[in-house]
Amino acid sequence: MDEILKIEHLVKTFGTNEVLRDIDFSVSKGDVISIIGSSGSGKSTLLRCINLLEDATGGHILFHGEDILGGDVNEDSYRTKVGMVFQSFNLFANLNVLDNCMIGQVKVLKRDKEEARATALEYLAKVGMAQYIEAKPRQLSGGQKQRVAIARALVMNPEVLLFDEPTSALDPEMVGEVLDVMKDLAASGMTMLVVTHEMAFARDVSNRVIFMSDGRIEEDGDPATVFSSPKSERTRDFLSRFNS
Amino acid sequence: MSIGEMNFFQRMVYIIQEYSGSLLKGAATTMAIAIVCTFFGCVIGFAVGLLQTTEPHKGSGPLKRGLLKAVKVVLTAYVEVFRGTPMMLQAAFIFYGMSQLFGINLGMWSAAFIIVSVNTGAYMAETVRGGILSVDPGQSEGARAIGMTHFQTMVNIILPQALRNIMPQIGNNLIINIKDTCVLSIIGTVELFFTFRSISGALYMYFEAATVTMAIYFILTFVCSRILRAVENRMDGPADFNLATTDTLAFTSGMTRYDAQKGGTH
Ligand SMILES: Nc1ncnc2c1ncn2[C@@H]1O[C@H](COP(=O)(O)OP(=O)(O)OP(=O)(O)O)[C@@H](O)[C@H]1O
Ligand SMILES: [Mg+2]
Repeated sequence: MDEILKIEHLVKTFGTNEVLRDIDFSVSKGDVISIIGSSGSGKSTLLRCINLLEDATGGHILFHGEDILGGDVNEDSYRTKVGMVFQSFNLFANLNVLDNCMIGQVKVLKRDKEEARATALEYLAKVGMAQYIEAKPRQLSGGQKQRVAIARALVMNPEVLLFDEPTSALDPEMVGEVLDVMKDLAASGMTMLVVTHEMAFARDVSNRVIFMSDGRIEEDGDPATVFSSPKSERTRDFLSRFNS
Repeated sequence: MSIGEMNFFQRMVYIIQEYSGSLLKGAATTMAIAIVCTFFGCVIGFAVGLLQTTEPHKGSGPLKRGLLKAVKVVLTAYVEVFRGTPMMLQAAFIFYGMSQLFGINLGMWSAAFIIVSVNTGAYMAETVRGGILSVDPGQSEGARAIGMTHFQTMVNIILPQALRNIMPQIGNNLIINIKDTCVLSIIGTVELFFTFRSISGALYMYFEAATVTMAIYFILTFVCSRILRAVENRMDGPADFNLATTDTLAFTSGMTRYDAQKGGTH
């Protein structure tokens, strides 16, 4: 299969705190990978390293075979191909919904405004937010904000989309609307890397589940195997807390 | 009626009638200096505040890092010195220092503009720094995550919000400048306070002249603060928004700039 990302021996330390220890995995086109694990196991740090929001301490991140930690890669253009959706939305508070979804296209991809507007409207319609183009982020609910944030990432036509607990900051009744958008995305063939505590999503939507513990990948396999017959003790422990 | 026979109000009316020209000119000078210098003070403040909140790029070498560090030290010194000394002395220091040390005669206007701008800039630098830090860092990450550069993020996302956040302090600075230009009378700038001194000196009507001048100062500052409040409200935009209809959406994916019909009942 068409390999997009390959993470090799990725290490990240904060001072003396080893947060990621020798992470190895690869992401192929169309993969929907859920990353699960207890708090502090390094899931966010892993996504942030992949998106270059943190500098990895060691190892390699290959994007279509090219090492993006090598130094002479244009970080900004790489970031447009690897989108990110944050737990706290991180929408631009001074811009309305439409402009949130246009600014990256206009400033970074240099699309002309008409094209950017059409693209923004197309993806805002996909996440069910086209009616709200005039609203400022502060006028939206959490679920609506997150759907706009997903559209903002999608308009850049990324090859991979990283999600860091996209529903964790939401009230329970809004979790569903965001998960529905993510399911549609997965069904449309989008390559996704999703840090989540939604075990139903991990089990039913993703084609692969990675369990992280203490900065390592403890388990990596298809959801059926990971959930029904996990290899490691820690995975069993973790999962049992969710099943109870 | 001679001046001696006038009561308090008549004397004020007399001052206004006789000196309306110089009072207006003094007020205009005061406003010109205050507005121009608040503007340039903001420009200086944004430049300094931006530099002070710039972190070295992770790829930059020791030379660049050292340079940035040195620039920051100089800027901090500037901010501290100009915030920590009276503007009246700064005016004397710069005005007389320039002519004595360098033989440069700044002239009243340029001296006034330089001193008040540089002084305001020192205050604004701290304000801008706070304004930038008050914008939640998540938005910078959001911008970086879609590939925007540090510069693009600053100009399009962070600074507009910082500007909005510090509008009350900018207004404050304008009002302070309207009042504090009076210290420029030490270098002979004929602004409103200087006018007051000439009038009261010529007529020996200190109380009346002070009342009239205070009233003018108050009108100036009050009008400015109202205008600035209106500007702030404009920057906030409408409190509500209109849902776009299917019609307008179909329309906008075409060629024209989206412009929702504002809700109306006709
Ligand atoms: N900027 C930072 N500086 C220092 N330590 C950090 C930093 N960011 C994260 N850490 C540490 O790295 C470890 C892993 O954090 P991380 O946020 O990746 O965990 P996580 O798996 O995402 O947890 P959660 O489920 O709570 O989000 C934690 O021990 C945390 O304290
Ligand atoms: Mg996390």
